[in-house]
Amino acid sequence: MEIKKTGVAGTLESSDIQVMISKGSNGIEIELDSEVKKAYGDQIEKVITETIKNYGLNDVKVKAVDKGALDCVIKARTLAAAQRATETSDQPDLEVL
Amino acid sequence: MDKVVDLYLNQVSTRKKWKSFLETKGIHDFSDREIDVIDHTLGLIDDEGNLVATGSIAGNVLKYIAVSNDEVIAGARFNKIVSSLQQYLFSNQIFHCFVFTKAKYSSSFKHLGFKELALSEQAAFLEYGDPNIEDYLNNLPQVHDQKNKKVAAVVMNANPFTLGHRYLVEKASNENDLVYVFVVKEDLSLFSTAERMKLVKEGTQDLSNVEVVSGEEYMVSSATFPAYFLKSAAELIDVQTTIDAKVFKNFVAPKLNIKSRYLGEEPFSRTTNSYNKKLQEILSPEVKVIIIPRLREKDKIVNATEVRKYIKTGSLDKIEAFLPKTTYDFIKNNLLELQDRIKKGTNVNGN
Amino acid sequence: MTYIKNRIRRTMMFVPGNNPAMIKDAGIYGADSIMLDLEDSVSLTEKDAARMLVYEAIKTVDFGNSEIVVRVNGQDTPFYDEDVKAMVKAGVDVIRLPKTESAAMIQKLVKDIEHWEDEFDIEKGSIGVMAAIESAKGVLHAPEIAESSSLMMGLAVSGEDYTADMHTHRFPDGRELEFARNMVLQAARAADVYAFDTVFSNMKDTEGFYRETNYIHELGYDGKSLVNPRQIEMVNKVFNPTKEEIENAQNVQNTIREAKLKGSGVISMNGKMVDKPVVEKANRVLEIAKASNLIDEEGNYIGE
Repeated sequence: MEIKKTGVAGTLESSDIQVMISKGSNGIEIELDSEVKKAYGDQIEKVITETIKNYGLNDVKVKAVDKGALDCVIKARTLAAAQRATETSDQPDLEVL
Repeated sequence: MDKVVDLYLNQVSTRKKWKSFLETKGIHDFSDREIDVIDHTLGLIDDEGNLVATGSIAGNVLKYIAVSNDEVIAGARFNKIVSSLQQYLFSNQIFHCFVFTKAKYSSSFKHLGFKELALSEQAAFLEYGDPNIEDYLNNLPQVHDQKNKKVAAVVMNANPFTLGHRYLVEKASNENDLVYVFVVKEDLSLFSTAERMKLVKEGTQDLSNVEVVSGEEYMVSSATFPAYFLKSAAELIDVQTTIDAKVFKNFVAPKLNIKSRYLGEEPFSRTTNSYNKKLQEILSPEVKVIIIPRLREKDKIVNATEVRKYIKTGSLDKIEAFLPKTTYDFIKNNLLELQDRIKKGTNVNGN
Repeated sequence: MTYIKNRIRRTMMFVPGNNPAMIKDAGIYGADSIMLDLEDSVSLTEKDAARMLVYEAIKTVDFGNSEIVVRVNGQDTPFYDEDVKAMVKAGVDVIRLPKTESAAMIQKLVKDIEHWEDEFDIEKGSIGVMAAIESAKGVLHAPEIAESSSLMMGLAVSGEDYTADMHTHRFPDGRELEFARNMVLQAARAADVYAFDTVFSNMKDTEGFYRETNYIHELGYDGKSLVNPRQIEMVNKVFNPTKEEIENAQNVQNTIREAKLKGSGVISMNGKMVDKPVVEKANRVLEIAKASNLIDEEGNYIGE
């Protein structure tokens, strides 16, 4: 799987998270902005990292702005952003879910 | 639940509603300069059909954002309208956006993950997305051991690159180990950004310690600076200069170890003169401002505005002496195209 | 989650499929069914993101006892195939097809569901289907649509699109929907499937909402589509059986129990035969009475 362009999904509304994914060169680098970063930052980054790895991407830059999203929302937004970045949204690979 | 709707401002009734809503929120500047650049406008409509929030997009800049405060959850409408504007940008493959706003609203945008690039008493300048200013600076060419080198910067429009510009760059080049020439990105004038970049590069090719780079959105141009949220248009230059200088001081200079900035003296242009003064006020002492007297050629000051006037009349013999060969050749080879642009209304005056 | 053909379905609450805040809370209001929407409430640029969000939500969010329905995008859109595929994999209870106009459309949906059930090794028949009737054509074909599949759960009238198709719009008195409401209800009853009324979106007009809900309850509808959780309690109030209805239903059940004990073939109450419709009605009344806490464990009436 290859990143072809910047992909972003999610909003800045309550309970959501906006995830922006672009090509990186140094593994999975996450820049997280969250009001609950102290308490949940590690968990949020873990969900993002695992989702991206399972999706088959290695060198990825991630910018995420969290507004109190549940894990399933984080996962869904990361996947949608990854699909957009790899230009596979029309036929998402559900096997990775 | 509030609904997001497209607002078409060319529809008179929509525009009226939009305008009076903004007016209740303290925005009164609806000049062509501000409105004509708007690509798209969104609104939020409540259950009764009232306009309760709006925001616009101009290129990659968010404008005219206003939200009605009589809502249940504080900030929800603001988040929704900003998110919707972003979604519009993202769907147009624009992943990096900016906002110029009243200083007091900076925190609202920061709350949404925007990064503050500069803050003055009147205004704030923030960005969101990818690539951001860190990415921009990281991608600029750097030399080995730069933190121990003497580094200077010149910021120019170069519309087009003249011997006057060349003189300034050369001076900086002689007095420093490394010189960054930032070319202001803005396509509103006679020469396009790409053409200006090309001519600066060609005209400084022999100076091995000079790096010509695009200023991108981080060298804030007065031509594109939104003024609708200011109290009066007269504040524009002052606010824009302050914001521009602060971005340079907060981010660009420290990252690249730039210790001085070279400026051309401006005896005739009041705008540029006050710009230089303001710059000095903000940048020092961290960045030393060095003002160089203008180059005189046959007792005439070399000036890009003059050059553009003679392009219009086609009197190239009058400007040959003011230009590096590379710029002169470009103008000669593209004279008809340039004159055509002037005819089509490109502004010849200004910087 | 698995599809249960017969259950209480008084309230079907619409939840926009790209709104995490609303999806997260959808389970707490006690709606009989929650309809997660991938269609009208999701903008064209967000279809893919909403699909992923609804998928993950169905997998992980606790929706209480609510049945999970997903409205996929129409068969004339490029989103339909992926919507159906993802929802089958997610294990939704019911898929709602918008703009249904023929039995063939439902049969295609069922075939597509079966295809993905095969692909993902899911037991066939674990997902029900329902049809949204939103056009003149759909209304006229309601009988064949209602009978198009053994997996058919029900028909829903969708007033906005239907009235537009009829060159009119919604009016407070609902006369513009009279024919459609009756036609869809007849078709649903004849095919023994559920019938759902359209949404009422003016939240300020409580009186109008009660008027409309009383009206469709009188007609015989099973339930109503809702856009706001505050409407759930209001619908339930209208659909609550009266004390007399509950006592009568309890009597029917007692009669059946007695008859069974006696081994009697013919069941009668108050000198009248207790046949299938009477039994079913009694069961329905008691089910709703229990769901609305109108009777306790022992069957004592505890309503107001």
